[in-house]
Amino acid sequence: MSTMTENRRRSTTEIEESTSAWRKRLTSDGAARVAALLSFFVLWLVVSAVFGRVPGPVEVVVRLVEEFARGEVFGNFASTLYRFGVGVALATVVGIAVGVMMGLSQLSRAFFESPVLVGLSIPAIIWSFLTVMWFGFGNLSPIVTTFLTAVPFVIINVAQGVRGVSRDLRDMSSTYNVPLGRRVKDLVLPAVTGYVATGVRFAMIIGWNGVLLSEWFGGSGGVGYRSRFWYDANRYGGFAAWTVLFVGFIVLLDRFVLDRMIRRAFRWRDNAA
Amino acid sequence: MAVLTVRDLCKTFNVGTPRASRVLDNISFEVKGQTFVSIVGPSGCGKSTLLNIISGVEEHTSGHISLESDTGGAARMGYVFQDPRLLPWRSVMKNMMYVQDDHDDDTVERARRYLDMVGLTKNADFFPGQLSGGMQQRVGIARAFAVEPDLLLMDEPFSHLDAITARGLRAQLQDIWSQSKKTVVFVTHDVVEAVELSDRIIVLQPGGRIYEDITIDLPRPRRQSDPTVATLQAEVLARLEKMKAIGNLAEPVA
Repeated sequence: MSTMTENRRRSTTEIEESTSAWRKRLTSDGAARVAALLSFFVLWLVVSAVFGRVPGPVEVVVRLVEEFARGEVFGNFASTLYRFGVGVALATVVGIAVGVMMGLSQLSRAFFESPVLVGLSIPAIIWSFLTVMWFGFGNLSPIVTTFLTAVPFVIINVAQGVRGVSRDLRDMSSTYNVPLGRRVKDLVLPAVTGYVATGVRFAMIIGWNGVLLSEWFGGSGGVGYRSRFWYDANRYGGFAAWTVLFVGFIVLLDRFVLDRMIRRAFRWRDNAA
Repeated sequence: MAVLTVRDLCKTFNVGTPRASRVLDNISFEVKGQTFVSIVGPSGCGKSTLLNIISGVEEHTSGHISLESDTGGAARMGYVFQDPRLLPWRSVMKNMMYVQDDHDDDTVERARRYLDMVGLTKNADFFPGQLSGGMQQRVGIARAFAVEPDLLLMDEPFSHLDAITARGLRAQLQDIWSQSKKTVVFVTHDVVEAVELSDRIIVLQPGGRIYEDITIDLPRPRRQSDPTVATLQAEVLARLEKMKAIGNLAEPVA
Protein backbone atom coordinates (compact mmCIF):
# COMPACT_ATOMS: atom_id res chain seq x y z
CA MET A 1 0.00 0.00 0.00
CA SER A 2 1.44 3.37 -0.96
CA THR A 3 1.95 6.01 1.70
CA MET A 4 0.05 9.30 1.36
CA THR A 5 2.02 12.47 2.12
CA GLU A 6 0.23 15.68 2.96
CA ASN A 7 1.64 18.83 1.37
CA ARG A 8 -0.49 21.58 2.88
CA ARG A 9 0.29 25.22 2.09
CA ARG A 10 0.25 27.63 5.00
CA SER A 11 -2.04 30.69 5.01
CA THR A 12 -0.61 34.22 5.28
CA THR A 13 -2.04 34.45 8.82
CA GLU A 14 -0.20 31.28 9.84
CA ILE A 15 3.04 32.55 8.28
CA GLU A 16 2.58 35.92 10.02
CA GLU A 17 1.95 34.29 13.41
CA SER A 18 4.89 31.88 13.16
CA THR A 19 7.46 34.56 12.18
CA SER A 20 9.35 35.92 15.17
CA ALA A 21 9.41 39.67 15.91
CA TRP A 22 13.20 40.01 15.48
CA ARG A 23 13.01 38.29 12.07
CA LYS A 24 10.25 40.68 10.96
CA ARG A 25 12.38 43.64 12.07
CA LEU A 26 15.46 42.32 10.27
CA THR A 27 13.59 41.85 6.99
CA SER A 28 11.78 45.22 7.09
CA ASP A 29 12.33 48.20 4.75
CA GLY A 30 13.68 50.22 7.68
CA ALA A 31 16.33 47.58 8.37
CA ALA A 32 17.39 47.65 4.70
CA ARG A 33 17.79 51.45 4.87
CA VAL A 34 19.84 51.26 8.09
CA ALA A 35 21.98 48.49 6.54
CA ALA A 36 22.66 50.69 3.49
CA LEU A 37 23.70 53.63 5.71
CA LEU A 38 25.94 51.41 7.84
CA SER A 39 27.55 49.85 4.74
CA PHE A 40 28.30 53.29 3.35
CA PHE A 41 29.73 54.43 6.69
CA VAL A 42 32.01 51.37 6.97
CA LEU A 43 33.15 51.82 3.36
CA TRP A 44 33.93 55.48 4.09
CA LEU A 45 35.99 54.46 7.16
CA VAL A 46 37.95 51.88 5.16
CA VAL A 47 38.59 54.18 2.17
CA SER A 48 39.70 57.06 4.43
CA ALA A 49 42.03 54.70 6.36
CA VAL A 50 43.62 53.44 3.12
CA PHE A 51 43.84 56.73 1.22
CA GLY A 52 45.29 59.65 3.14
CA ARG A 53 43.67 62.27 0.88
CA VAL A 54 40.14 61.07 1.70
CA PRO A 55 38.98 62.69 4.96
CA GLY A 56 37.33 60.28 7.40
CA PRO A 57 34.02 60.85 9.23
CA VAL A 58 35.71 62.13 12.39
CA GLU A 59 37.71 64.78 10.52
CA VAL A 60 34.62 65.88 8.60
CA VAL A 61 32.62 66.30 11.82
CA VAL A 62 35.48 68.26 13.43
CA ARG A 63 35.69 70.63 10.42
CA LEU A 64 31.93 71.04 10.42
CA VAL A 65 31.95 71.97 14.12
CA GLU A 66 34.74 74.48 13.41
CA GLU A 67 32.68 76.02 10.60
CA PHE A 68 29.71 76.33 12.98
CA ALA A 69 32.00 77.93 15.58
CA ARG A 70 33.22 80.50 13.01
CA GLY A 71 29.59 81.37 12.23
CA GLU A 72 30.02 80.41 8.57
CA VAL A 73 27.35 77.75 8.33
CA PHE A 74 23.98 79.48 8.68
CA GLY A 75 24.64 82.49 6.43
CA ASN A 76 26.25 80.52 3.61
CA PHE A 77 23.79 77.67 3.84
CA ALA A 78 20.83 80.07 3.81
CA SER A 79 22.24 81.85 0.70
CA THR A 80 22.60 78.60 -1.20
CA LEU A 81 19.24 77.35 -0.03
CA TYR A 82 17.55 80.55 -1.20
CA ARG A 83 19.19 80.34 -4.66
CA PHE A 84 18.51 76.61 -4.95
CA GLY A 85 14.90 76.96 -3.77
CA VAL A 86 14.03 79.82 -6.14
CA GLY A 87 15.73 78.07 -9.09
CA VAL A 88 14.03 74.70 -8.49
CA ALA A 89 10.62 76.33 -7.80
CA LEU A 90 10.84 78.30 -11.06
CA ALA A 91 11.95 75.20 -12.95
CA THR A 92 9.00 73.24 -11.49
CA VAL A 93 6.37 75.87 -12.35
CA VAL A 94 7.71 76.60 -15.86
CA GLY A 95 8.45 72.90 -16.45
CA ILE A 96 4.91 71.82 -15.57
CA ALA A 97 3.35 74.58 -17.74
CA VAL A 98 5.51 73.83 -20.79
CA GLY A 99 5.29 70.05 -20.22
CA VAL A 100 1.47 70.17 -20.09
CA MET A 101 1.38 72.25 -23.30
CA MET A 102 3.76 69.83 -25.04
CA GLY A 103 1.70 66.87 -23.89
CA LEU A 104 -1.64 68.33 -24.99
CA SER A 105 -0.74 70.02 -28.27
CA GLN A 106 1.14 68.65 -31.26
CA LEU A 107 2.01 72.24 -32.26
CA SER A 108 3.56 73.00 -28.85
CA ARG A 109 5.50 69.76 -29.00
CA ALA A 110 6.93 70.70 -32.41
CA PHE A 111 7.83 74.17 -31.08
CA PHE A 112 9.47 73.17 -27.77
CA GLU A 113 11.04 69.81 -28.67
CA SER A 114 14.34 71.13 -30.08
CA PRO A 115 14.98 73.80 -27.38
CA VAL A 116 14.33 71.21 -24.65
CA LEU A 117 16.74 68.74 -26.27
CA VAL A 118 19.39 71.46 -26.49
CA GLY A 119 18.75 72.34 -22.82
CA LEU A 120 19.16 68.69 -21.81
CA SER A 121 22.47 68.39 -23.61
CA ILE A 122 24.10 71.48 -22.03
CA PRO A 123 25.89 70.52 -18.78
CA ALA A 124 25.53 72.55 -15.58
CA ILE A 125 29.17 73.67 -15.75
CA ILE A 126 28.60 75.43 -19.10
CA TRP A 127 25.51 77.21 -17.75
CA SER A 128 27.46 78.28 -14.65
CA PHE A 129 30.23 79.84 -16.79
CA LEU A 130 27.71 81.57 -19.04
CA THR A 131 25.55 82.96 -16.22
CA VAL A 132 28.59 84.31 -14.33
CA MET A 133 29.62 86.10 -17.54
CA TRP A 134 26.08 87.39 -18.08
CA PHE A 135 25.00 88.29 -14.55
CA GLY A 136 28.20 88.60 -12.49
CA PHE A 137 28.71 87.53 -8.87
CA GLY A 138 25.23 88.00 -7.36
CA ASN A 139 22.23 85.79 -6.60
CA LEU A 140 21.04 85.85 -10.20
CA SER A 141 23.80 83.62 -11.64
CA PRO A 142 23.21 80.59 -9.39
CA ILE A 143 19.41 81.00 -9.61
CA VAL A 144 19.43 81.10 -13.41
CA THR A 145 21.95 78.24 -13.56
CA THR A 146 19.77 76.10 -11.29
CA PHE A 147 16.69 76.97 -13.34
CA LEU A 148 18.32 76.28 -16.73
CA THR A 149 19.86 72.97 -15.71
CA ALA A 150 16.71 71.71 -13.99
CA VAL A 151 13.84 72.89 -16.22
CA PRO A 152 14.38 70.53 -19.22
CA PHE A 153 14.12 67.49 -16.92
CA VAL A 154 10.80 68.66 -15.50
CA ILE A 155 9.45 69.48 -18.98
CA ILE A 156 10.41 66.14 -20.53
CA ASN A 157 8.93 64.14 -17.64
CA VAL A 158 5.67 66.09 -17.47
CA ALA A 159 5.18 66.01 -21.28
CA GLN A 160 5.70 62.25 -21.23
CA GLY A 161 3.14 61.91 -18.43
CA VAL A 162 0.53 64.09 -20.14
CA ARG A 163 0.82 62.10 -23.36
CA GLY A 164 0.11 58.99 -21.34
CA VAL A 165 -3.15 60.29 -19.83
CA SER A 166 -5.93 57.77 -20.44
CA ARG A 167 -7.60 58.23 -23.84
CA ASP A 168 -10.85 56.95 -22.35
CA LEU A 169 -10.89 59.68 -19.70
CA ARG A 170 -10.03 62.35 -22.28
CA ASP A 171 -12.90 61.14 -24.49
CA MET A 172 -15.23 61.17 -21.49
CA SER A 173 -14.21 64.78 -20.76
CA SER A 174 -14.78 65.79 -24.40
CA THR A 175 -18.21 64.15 -24.45
CA TYR A 176 -19.27 66.15 -21.39
CA ASN A 177 -17.62 69.37 -22.68
CA VAL A 178 -15.55 69.74 -19.51
CA PRO A 179 -13.75 73.13 -19.64
CA LEU A 180 -9.99 73.02 -20.36
CA GLY A 181 -9.01 74.52 -16.99
CA ARG A 182 -10.94 71.85 -15.09
CA ARG A 183 -9.51 69.11 -17.33
CA VAL A 184 -5.98 70.25 -16.55
CA LYS A 185 -6.70 70.54 -12.79
CA ASP A 186 -8.75 67.36 -12.27
CA LEU A 187 -7.57 65.05 -15.05
CA VAL A 188 -4.13 65.96 -16.39
CA LEU A 189 -2.28 67.13 -13.27
CA PRO A 190 -3.34 64.24 -10.98
CA ALA A 191 -2.54 61.78 -13.78
CA VAL A 192 1.00 63.15 -14.12
CA THR A 193 1.77 63.48 -10.40
CA GLY A 194 4.27 60.62 -10.56
CA TYR A 195 5.99 62.18 -13.57
CA VAL A 196 6.05 65.61 -11.89
CA ALA A 197 7.60 64.05 -8.77
CA THR A 198 10.27 62.34 -10.88
CA GLY A 199 10.90 65.61 -12.72
CA VAL A 200 11.21 67.58 -9.47
CA ARG A 201 13.55 64.94 -8.03
CA PHE A 202 15.77 65.27 -11.11
CA ALA A 203 15.46 69.05 -10.90
CA MET A 204 16.66 68.98 -7.29
CA ILE A 205 19.64 66.77 -8.03
CA ILE A 206 20.65 68.58 -11.22
CA GLY A 207 19.80 71.98 -9.72
CA TRP A 208 22.07 71.24 -6.77
CA ASN A 209 24.91 70.71 -9.27
CA GLY A 210 24.04 73.98 -10.94
CA VAL A 211 23.92 76.13 -7.82
CA LEU A 212 27.14 74.62 -6.42
CA LEU A 213 29.08 75.11 -9.66
CA SER A 214 27.82 78.63 -10.08
CA GLU A 215 28.88 79.57 -6.53
CA TRP A 216 32.18 77.74 -7.02
CA PHE A 217 33.10 79.81 -10.07
CA GLY A 218 31.37 83.10 -9.41
CA GLY A 219 30.02 83.24 -5.87
CA SER A 220 30.90 85.55 -3.04
CA GLY A 221 29.16 83.29 -0.52
CA GLY A 222 27.28 80.03 -0.25
CA VAL A 223 28.05 76.32 0.00
CA GLY A 224 29.89 76.24 -3.36
CA TYR A 225 31.97 79.28 -2.40
CA ARG A 226 32.98 77.78 0.99
CA SER A 227 33.69 74.38 -0.61
CA ARG A 228 36.06 76.07 -3.06
CA PHE A 229 37.65 78.05 -0.24
CA TRP A 230 38.66 74.80 1.50
CA TYR A 231 39.60 73.14 -1.78
CA ASP A 232 41.94 76.02 -2.65
CA ALA A 233 43.39 75.80 0.88
CA ASN A 234 44.12 72.11 0.24
CA ARG A 235 41.93 71.19 3.25
CA TYR A 236 39.76 68.33 2.03
CA GLY A 237 38.08 67.89 5.40
CA GLY A 238 36.46 71.32 5.17
CA PHE A 239 35.46 70.66 1.56
CA ALA A 240 33.88 67.32 2.48
CA ALA A 241 32.11 68.85 5.52
CA TRP A 242 30.12 71.21 3.28
CA THR A 243 29.34 68.44 0.79
CA VAL A 244 28.04 66.18 3.58
CA LEU A 245 25.94 69.01 4.98
CA PHE A 246 24.18 69.79 1.71
CA VAL A 247 23.79 66.16 0.58
CA GLY A 248 22.29 65.36 3.98
CA PHE A 249 19.88 68.24 3.59
CA ILE A 250 18.78 67.07 0.11
CA VAL A 251 18.21 63.52 1.38
CA LEU A 252 16.09 64.79 4.30
CA LEU A 253 14.16 67.12 1.97
CA ASP A 254 13.42 64.23 -0.38
CA ARG A 255 12.42 61.83 2.39
CA PHE A 256 10.37 64.10 4.61
CA VAL A 257 8.88 66.62 2.17
CA LEU A 258 8.77 65.25 -1.39
CA ASP A 259 8.10 61.66 -0.38
CA ARG A 260 5.23 62.69 1.92
CA MET A 261 3.73 64.93 -0.76
CA ILE A 262 3.81 62.04 -3.23
CA ARG A 263 2.19 59.69 -0.72
CA ARG A 264 -0.56 62.22 -0.11
CA ALA A 265 -1.12 62.68 -3.85
CA PHE A 266 -1.40 58.91 -4.31
CA ARG A 267 -3.62 58.16 -1.30
CA TRP A 268 -6.47 57.29 -3.68
CA ARG A 269 -4.35 54.35 -4.91
CA ASP A 270 -3.58 53.10 -1.42
CA ASN A 271 -7.31 53.13 -0.61
CA ALA A 272 -8.25 50.88 -3.55
CA ALA A 273 -10.54 47.97 -2.67
CA MET B 1 -37.74 68.02 -25.98
CA ALA B 2 -34.69 66.79 -27.89
CA VAL B 3 -34.66 65.79 -31.56
CA LEU B 4 -31.76 63.75 -32.88
CA THR B 5 -31.60 63.60 -36.67
CA VAL B 6 -29.22 61.25 -38.48
CA ARG B 7 -29.40 61.34 -42.28
CA ASP B 8 -27.36 59.41 -44.87
CA LEU B 9 -24.57 58.99 -42.33
CA CYS B 10 -21.44 57.17 -43.55
CA LYS B 11 -18.24 56.36 -41.77
CA THR B 12 -15.16 54.95 -43.44
CA PHE B 13 -11.94 54.29 -41.54
CA ASN B 14 -8.54 54.80 -43.23
CA VAL B 15 -10.04 56.79 -46.10
CA GLY B 16 -7.81 56.88 -49.20
CA THR B 17 -5.68 53.94 -48.11
CA PRO B 18 -5.76 50.27 -49.17
CA ARG B 19 -7.02 49.48 -45.65
CA ALA B 20 -10.14 51.66 -46.06
CA SER B 21 -13.21 50.03 -44.50
CA ARG B 22 -16.76 51.36 -44.37
CA VAL B 23 -18.39 50.67 -41.01
CA LEU B 24 -21.56 52.78 -41.39
CA ASP B 25 -23.41 52.95 -44.69
CA ASN B 26 -26.19 55.49 -45.29
CA ILE B 27 -27.71 55.39 -41.81
CA SER B 28 -30.85 57.50 -41.41
CA PHE B 29 -33.17 57.76 -38.43
CA GLU B 30 -34.73 60.30 -36.12
CA VAL B 31 -35.29 60.15 -32.36
CA LYS B 32 -37.79 62.56 -30.82
CA GLY B 33 -38.72 63.40 -27.28
CA GLN B 34 -38.99 61.07 -24.32
CA THR B 35 -38.03 57.94 -26.19
CA PHE B 36 -35.76 55.05 -25.27
CA VAL B 37 -34.16 53.74 -28.46
CA SER B 38 -31.88 50.72 -28.58
CA ILE B 39 -29.43 49.99 -31.36
CA VAL B 40 -28.71 46.28 -31.62
CA GLY B 41 -26.68 44.16 -33.97
CA PRO B 42 -23.82 41.70 -34.11
CA SER B 43 -20.27 42.61 -33.08
CA GLY B 44 -18.50 44.86 -35.57
CA CYS B 45 -21.66 46.26 -37.20
CA GLY B 46 -20.78 49.83 -36.16
CA LYS B 47 -23.02 50.34 -33.09
CA SER B 48 -20.37 51.92 -30.87
CA THR B 49 -18.95 53.93 -33.78
CA LEU B 50 -22.41 55.37 -34.41
CA LEU B 51 -22.69 56.38 -30.74
CA ASN B 52 -19.21 57.93 -30.78
CA ILE B 53 -20.15 59.96 -33.86
CA ILE B 54 -23.35 61.17 -32.20
CA SER B 55 -21.34 62.18 -29.10
CA GLY B 56 -18.70 64.00 -31.16
CA VAL B 57 -15.78 61.78 -30.09
CA GLU B 58 -15.57 60.42 -33.65
CA GLU B 59 -15.91 62.33 -36.96
CA HIS B 60 -18.28 61.08 -39.68
CA THR B 61 -17.14 60.77 -43.29
CA SER B 62 -20.34 62.06 -44.90
CA GLY B 63 -24.02 62.69 -44.17
CA HIS B 64 -25.87 64.85 -41.68
CA ILE B 65 -26.23 64.69 -37.93
CA SER B 66 -27.91 67.21 -35.65
CA LEU B 67 -29.29 67.49 -32.14
CA GLU B 68 -31.88 70.12 -31.37
CA SER B 69 -33.19 71.09 -27.99
CA ASP B 70 -36.22 73.21 -27.13
CA THR B 71 -34.65 74.32 -23.84
CA GLY B 72 -32.59 77.02 -25.61
CA GLY B 73 -28.81 77.01 -25.94
CA ALA B 74 -26.62 74.11 -26.96
CA ALA B 75 -28.07 70.64 -26.48
CA ARG B 76 -26.52 68.79 -23.56
CA MET B 77 -25.37 65.17 -23.80
CA GLY B 78 -24.70 62.51 -21.21
CA TYR B 79 -22.78 59.32 -21.92
CA VAL B 80 -22.62 56.05 -20.03
CA PHE B 81 -19.69 54.02 -21.32
CA GLN B 82 -19.01 50.28 -21.29
CA ASP B 83 -16.59 50.87 -18.42
CA PRO B 84 -17.36 53.55 -15.81
CA ARG B 85 -14.56 55.99 -16.84
CA LEU B 86 -14.29 57.65 -13.43
CA LEU B 87 -11.31 59.72 -12.31
CA PRO B 88 -9.62 57.29 -9.88
CA TRP B 89 -8.04 60.12 -7.84
CA ARG B 90 -11.31 61.97 -7.20
CA SER B 91 -14.09 60.95 -4.84
CA VAL B 92 -17.46 59.78 -6.14
CA MET B 93 -19.02 63.21 -5.49
CA LYS B 94 -16.13 65.03 -7.19
CA ASN B 95 -16.54 62.73 -10.19
CA MET B 96 -20.21 63.71 -10.31
CA MET B 97 -19.28 67.41 -10.19
CA TYR B 98 -16.44 67.10 -12.73
CA VAL B 99 -18.89 66.98 -15.66
CA GLN B 100 -21.32 69.64 -14.39
CA ASP B 101 -21.41 73.03 -16.12
CA ASP B 102 -21.73 74.95 -12.86
CA HIS B 103 -20.75 74.14 -9.32
CA ASP B 104 -23.59 75.94 -7.55
CA ASP B 105 -25.95 74.62 -4.85
CA ASP B 106 -28.48 73.39 -7.42
CA THR B 107 -26.01 71.15 -9.25
CA VAL B 108 -24.62 69.79 -5.98
CA GLU B 109 -28.17 69.01 -4.87
CA ARG B 110 -28.94 67.37 -8.22
CA ALA B 111 -25.77 65.25 -8.07
CA ARG B 112 -26.75 64.10 -4.56
CA ARG B 113 -30.28 63.29 -5.74
CA TYR B 114 -29.07 61.03 -8.56
CA LEU B 115 -26.49 59.39 -6.30
CA ASP B 116 -29.37 58.69 -3.94
CA MET B 117 -31.39 57.17 -6.81
CA VAL B 118 -28.63 54.65 -7.49
CA GLY B 119 -28.24 53.99 -3.74
CA LEU B 120 -24.77 55.44 -3.29
CA THR B 121 -25.36 58.43 -1.02
CA LYS B 122 -23.23 56.86 1.70
CA ASN B 123 -20.37 56.33 -0.74
CA ALA B 124 -20.13 59.95 -1.93
CA ASP B 125 -16.70 60.45 -0.34
CA PHE B 126 -15.27 57.11 -1.47
CA PHE B 127 -12.64 56.84 -4.20
CA PRO B 128 -13.78 54.74 -7.22
CA GLY B 129 -11.16 52.10 -6.35
CA GLN B 130 -13.03 51.47 -3.09
CA LEU B 131 -16.21 50.48 -4.98
CA SER B 132 -17.13 47.28 -6.81
CA GLY B 133 -17.48 47.26 -10.62
CA GLY B 134 -21.28 47.42 -10.36
CA MET B 135 -21.18 50.36 -7.93
CA GLN B 136 -18.76 52.23 -10.21
CA GLN B 137 -21.10 51.72 -13.15
CA ARG B 138 -23.97 53.08 -11.01
CA VAL B 139 -21.88 56.22 -10.43
CA GLY B 140 -21.42 56.43 -14.23
CA ILE B 141 -25.19 56.23 -14.71
CA ALA B 142 -25.90 58.79 -11.96
CA ARG B 143 -23.27 61.13 -13.44
CA ALA B 144 -24.88 60.95 -16.89
CA PHE B 145 -28.38 61.67 -15.57
CA ALA B 146 -27.14 64.42 -13.24
CA VAL B 147 -26.08 66.69 -16.11
CA GLU B 148 -29.79 66.73 -17.08
CA PRO B 149 -28.96 65.82 -20.68
CA ASP B 150 -31.19 66.47 -23.66
CA LEU B 151 -29.81 63.22 -25.06
CA LEU B 152 -28.40 60.34 -23.06
CA LEU B 153 -26.10 57.89 -24.86
CA MET B 154 -25.39 54.48 -23.36
CA ASP B 155 -22.85 52.07 -24.85
CA GLU B 156 -23.39 48.52 -23.56
CA PRO B 157 -23.21 49.79 -19.97
CA PHE B 158 -23.94 46.39 -18.39
CA SER B 159 -21.81 44.19 -20.64
CA HIS B 160 -18.90 43.97 -18.17
CA LEU B 161 -21.07 43.06 -15.20
CA ASP B 162 -22.27 39.72 -13.87
CA ALA B 163 -25.86 38.71 -14.72
CA ILE B 164 -27.38 39.47 -11.30
CA THR B 165 -25.74 42.91 -10.98
CA ALA B 166 -26.72 43.74 -14.57
CA ARG B 167 -30.35 42.75 -13.91
CA GLY B 168 -30.46 44.96 -10.81
CA LEU B 169 -29.00 47.90 -12.71
CA ARG B 170 -31.43 47.46 -15.60
CA ALA B 171 -34.31 47.68 -13.14
CA GLN B 172 -32.74 50.74 -11.54
CA LEU B 173 -32.23 52.34 -14.98
CA GLN B 174 -35.91 51.80 -15.83
CA ASP B 175 -36.93 53.47 -12.57
CA ILE B 176 -34.68 56.50 -13.09
CA TRP B 177 -35.68 56.82 -16.74
CA SER B 178 -39.39 56.67 -15.92
CA GLN B 179 -38.86 59.59 -13.50
CA SER B 180 -36.59 61.71 -15.74
CA LYS B 181 -37.97 60.69 -19.19
CA LYS B 182 -34.81 61.59 -21.10
CA THR B 183 -34.19 60.84 -24.76
CA VAL B 184 -31.94 57.77 -24.67
CA VAL B 185 -29.94 56.02 -27.38
CA PHE B 186 -28.80 52.70 -25.94
CA VAL B 187 -26.35 50.39 -27.71
CA THR B 188 -26.41 46.70 -26.87
CA HIS B 189 -25.86 43.32 -28.50
CA ASP B 190 -28.35 41.79 -26.06
CA VAL B 191 -31.82 41.66 -27.67
CA VAL B 192 -33.42 40.56 -24.39
CA GLU B 193 -32.06 43.69 -22.70
CA ALA B 194 -33.18 45.87 -25.62
CA VAL B 195 -36.79 44.60 -25.48
CA GLU B 196 -36.94 45.08 -21.72
CA LEU B 197 -35.78 48.69 -21.87
CA SER B 198 -36.78 50.21 -25.20
CA ASP B 199 -39.65 51.90 -27.00
CA ARG B 200 -37.95 51.24 -30.28
CA ILE B 201 -35.16 48.95 -31.55
CA ILE B 202 -33.00 49.81 -34.55
CA VAL B 203 -31.26 46.70 -35.85
CA LEU B 204 -27.92 47.20 -37.60
CA GLN B 205 -26.63 44.50 -39.90
CA PRO B 206 -22.99 43.68 -40.70
CA GLY B 207 -21.71 46.34 -43.10
CA GLY B 208 -23.30 49.11 -41.04
CA ARG B 209 -26.75 49.42 -42.60
CA ILE B 210 -30.11 49.53 -40.86
CA TYR B 211 -31.86 46.19 -41.22
CA GLU B 212 -35.03 46.88 -39.29
CA ASP B 213 -36.67 49.51 -37.10
CA ILE B 214 -38.98 47.81 -34.56
CA THR B 215 -41.47 49.55 -32.26
CA ILE B 216 -41.85 47.97 -28.80
CA ASP B 217 -45.29 48.80 -27.53
CA LEU B 218 -45.39 47.22 -24.07
CA PRO B 219 -46.45 48.73 -20.74
CA ARG B 220 -43.79 49.67 -18.16
CA PRO B 221 -42.24 48.68 -15.87
CA ARG B 222 -41.17 45.56 -17.74
CA ARG B 223 -39.62 42.48 -16.24
CA GLN B 224 -38.05 39.59 -18.11
CA SER B 225 -40.36 37.17 -16.32
CA ASP B 226 -43.43 38.87 -17.85
CA PRO B 227 -44.84 36.50 -20.57
CA THR B 228 -45.61 39.32 -23.03
CA VAL B 229 -42.03 40.61 -22.72
CA ALA B 230 -40.63 37.10 -23.14
CA THR B 231 -42.80 36.48 -26.24
CA LEU B 232 -41.69 39.70 -27.89
CA GLN B 233 -38.06 38.97 -27.03
CA ALA B 234 -38.38 35.59 -28.77
CA GLU B 235 -39.98 37.24 -31.80
CA VAL B 236 -37.24 39.86 -32.15
CA LEU B 237 -34.58 37.20 -31.66
CA ALA B 238 -36.15 35.15 -34.46
CA ARG B 239 -35.99 38.18 -36.77
CA LEU B 240 -32.30 38.62 -35.97
CA GLU B 241 -31.68 34.93 -36.61
CA LYS B 242 -33.27 35.42 -40.02
CA MET B 243 -31.02 38.42 -40.69
CA LYS B 244 -27.99 36.36 -39.69
CA ALA B 245 -29.08 33.52 -41.99
CA ILE B 246 -29.44 35.89 -44.93
CA GLY B 247 -26.11 37.51 -44.02
CA ASN B 248 -24.85 40.63 -45.72
CA LEU B 249 -27.22 40.16 -48.68
CA ALA B 250 -30.19 41.26 -46.59
CA GLU B 251 -32.09 44.18 -48.07
CA PRO B 252 -32.26 47.05 -45.63
CA VAL B 253 -35.78 47.93 -44.56
CA ALA B 254 -35.09 51.53 -43.59
